[in-house]
Amino acid sequence: MEPIRILTAVPICDGHDSAINTINLELIRHGIEVVYLGYHRSADDIVRAAVQEDVRAIGISSYNGGHVEFFSEILSELRARNGQHIKLFGGGGATITKADAEQMYEYGVDQIFFAGTSLGEMVDYVQRRFAAPVAQEELAAPRSDRALAAMLTRIENGGTHSNSAGSIGDARKTKSFGFTGPGGAGKTTLIDELVIRFLRHSSGQRVAILSHDPSVLRLGALLGDRATMIYSQNDRVFIRSMATRGQTGGVSLVTEQSLKFLAGTKIFDAILVETVGTGQEALPFEFSEVRLDASFLVMPPDYGSRLQLHKIAMLDAADVIVVNKSDLRGARTAVAEIEARIGLSRHGQRLFRTQANRHDDPGVDQLFEVLFPGGKSKSAVEYRSATHHSF
Amino acid sequence: MTSLGQVVQSVRKYRNFVQAEVKRVRNDPKAAEEVLNRWHEIGSKIGTTETPTGIKLPTLALPEIDEPGAITRFLLDEGLPGEFPYLSAAYSEQYLASGGGNGSATDGNGNQAEEPTRLFAGLGLPEDTNARFHYLSRNQQSKRLSTAFDGPTLYGVGAGARGVFGKIGEGGVAVDTVDDIERLYAGFSLDQPRVSVSMTISGPAPILLAMYIAAAKRRFGPGVVPKLRGTIQADVLKEVQAQNELIFPIEPSMRFLADMVDFCAQEMPRWYPISISGYHIAEAGATPVQQAAYTLSNGFAYVDYFQQRGMSVDVFGPRLSFFLDCGLDIEYVALARVCRKIWALGMRDVFGANERAQKLKLHTQTSGRSLVAADWKNNLTRTAIELVLACMNATNSCHSNAADEPFTTPSEEYARYAAHAQAILLEESGLFRHMMNTLAGSPGMRVVADAVEKGILEEFEVIEEQGGVLGAVERRYQRSQIQAAAHLLESQISSGERSIIGLNRYTDDENRWPNLEMIRTPREKKQLHLDRLLEFHRQHADLSEKSLDRLTKVVESSGNVFTELTNTVEHCSLGQITNRLTEVVGKFRPMV
Repeated sequence: MEPIRILTAVPICDGHDSAINTINLELIRHGIEVVYLGYHRSADDIVRAAVQEDVRAIGISSYNGGHVEFFSEILSELRARNGQHIKLFGGGGATITKADAEQMYEYGVDQIFFAGTSLGEMVDYVQRRFAAPVAQEELAAPRSDRALAAMLTRIENGGTHSNSAGSIGDARKTKSFGFTGPGGAGKTTLIDELVIRFLRHSSGQRVAILSHDPSVLRLGALLGDRATMIYSQNDRVFIRSMATRGQTGGVSLVTEQSLKFLAGTKIFDAILVETVGTGQEALPFEFSEVRLDASFLVMPPDYGSRLQLHKIAMLDAADVIVVNKSDLRGARTAVAEIEARIGLSRHGQRLFRTQANRHDDPGVDQLFEVLFPGGKSKSAVEYRSATHHSF
Repeated sequence: MTSLGQVVQSVRKYRNFVQAEVKRVRNDPKAAEEVLNRWHEIGSKIGTTETPTGIKLPTLALPEIDEPGAITRFLLDEGLPGEFPYLSAAYSEQYLASGGGNGSATDGNGNQAEEPTRLFAGLGLPEDTNARFHYLSRNQQSKRLSTAFDGPTLYGVGAGARGVFGKIGEGGVAVDTVDDIERLYAGFSLDQPRVSVSMTISGPAPILLAMYIAAAKRRFGPGVVPKLRGTIQADVLKEVQAQNELIFPIEPSMRFLADMVDFCAQEMPRWYPISISGYHIAEAGATPVQQAAYTLSNGFAYVDYFQQRGMSVDVFGPRLSFFLDCGLDIEYVALARVCRKIWALGMRDVFGANERAQKLKLHTQTSGRSLVAADWKNNLTRTAIELVLACMNATNSCHSNAADEPFTTPSEEYARYAAHAQAILLEESGLFRHMMNTLAGSPGMRVVADAVEKGILEEFEVIEEQGGVLGAVERRYQRSQIQAAAHLLESQISSGERSIIGLNRYTDDENRWPNLEMIRTPREKKQLHLDRLLEFHRQHADLSEKSLDRLTKVVESSGNVFTELTNTVEHCSLGQITNRLTEVVGKFRPMV
């Protein structure tokens, strides 16, 4: 039986994540895959993610008040994004009263947990209530996020192959890129920074991300990459978080099929595959049918001494090597060592230094040129004048 | 080695120094005589007091020791109140009815109610919180106004942003403009020393303090700035580690903070521009030792950063203050005492700070996390015990939680009980009224202090291994430790290993859900707040962009951003300013 997938989050202007962190851990222990979106998240962001991830339910942990309005906003967003089949539950200690809950049930909230509910009761509820996918009544438009998400679920659960995509005679070439490297290298941050440059550079085009996290204890997984992304919370970005489900090597058994399917839709300018932060033996992109346009090995400066570097076959195989966190000690040494190493190989590998956690980092700008040649990214201020926002 | 590693060394060195001194006075008759003379002199200087029941007591209790080695150990290890290393207390007279001293004790007239009470309030619109401030402080001569802000304000999000309408004025007061700040503190003489204002806000702290200054200037003229008295939290690092309310990336956040601290150190001698906070770290689930270790190490990281910017530790050091949680675990018997000692040693030996900067000034709040909804009136008892623990640690000011906090912003009734709990402890009971150290010096306290100190130093070493506080933050070390501790705590409650009375022990089926009036902000008020903001934007439409452009220039030119903010807030709202600043310096990337 396929694992239950749900999404959890903390509402906008609320940073109380202690309860949800504990609940997430407990759910994972019981075999549930939890896409965690983090705190201070808008209803838009939550529902977009829930639809793209094709989860069975959204769980909201709210401690800063305004929950009646916020839950109802999620429900109306779900309707607007054709996600009514996704159930909504939540809690907020004792800040949510019984009277509030009655009102929220009327709006369509599935369950509110009150103060004193044990972790076990919550796990029971999720396992019982969402054991099976909720029947989806209407068929979504074939190119909608919901349809893409449903197809990815079918692929992930082994129900179908990827050639049933609704590709409509668009000549767009979808590029695909792979990002791998050890945990803590900053892959997710780097991808998010590339995405903001893509969004500024183009108008209307979309990008997709296949993001992997390891499954733990047989089935469950905490899929948390979305939580640290800022700019990728955008309708032009389609993100799917995938658990490795026991597969070693950094990706899932169905990564290639998912990639092939998404590329076949010709909806996206690019698809970025982010691996789990492990696997130093081989590049995890040895697919049988799909060829990546480029593979990126992202590493922190303290990745290893010269001796260890020689052991890393990935270094030889990657098209582009990125030393991220280049502000940290040892960055120059690392760059020198890697340069010496790749000098030996014959296939024109390129090396970049980035500091992805720095605003408008020029290293990331250069890297962006590799993915999208000729795509000079607009500065934030130019982008601002082209984007509507309120305050 | 970072400065934190040096702090560990200095604490260890001091321990050896104490041992050496003890040995020395035992072997050197002349030194022994000096110690004994000093001991007698100390004893002879202690005043006496008479209780209402007619017994006579000294105002300070000394241990009954007469051997030079033991006396030396006591004086160097603990120190008398107000003497290095300040383990006993930062000041020599706290809480005493006859005292006065540092501004947190009663003034001796006996007619001051509820000091060192500082009660946290924030609800609805600025005028609602203003009314609550007037109610809470109606019997107090010194007005200590402690402000809680709503979620949108804490995140610097304007009330008009999508999806935040429901959160306006919930859990705290809604503030968007300098006009709001004016309403919030209306009717209080901000220019008077007996009025102090504290603002619990970190991410947009410089913007809020700039608004406060601008609002005060409007009412009291430009000369008011050096007279303003209060505290703003502005703790960037604990936001990253526990409370998650940061707006800008760490680097620019630290810069904006330093600009503000620099300004305050020069222009606002009565203002504490940062409150280094363990409270939220503990509330997120940290153990008491983790709370102390992360808070102190954050404090040292700030000192390091400010010094590197060329600021003088003797100038900004005395303006730093601390804020700790006090719960029911046994560590709290001595936690704050140990913190004072480690802070004093680090400040003196590693940073070369003067005596004023060595003293850790502490505000304590009783634990919110320890309060539960089940059989909730037990929370009165929990808070009372925590208050005793806080005062045993000689906190300089204190907030006691209201029993109904698990449900709502405190109602007036339970806010009153919370304030009265402090009055009962300090004025009605004799515990701290006659002698400030009635409960100090027990072997148990000593043993706990040693264990706590050991635990803190071990944590410091782990952080040091990761390159110091910022390195550990980058590896999300503090976050993951806090999360693991929180999970353990919940499992212990679930399994019954930890007793929570009314929740997993001595429960009954009776429905004890309170019949409380929930403090909520009605729709019309939220709309009113939003309308005011839109009106502000309309009124300042011609100048706001120009002001923001000027602010941008200062940010890009490395000028003092805080000084410019005091102008910007005249024409721009909180949301406008944070939007512009995030475009210039980026957004904080959430850590999970």
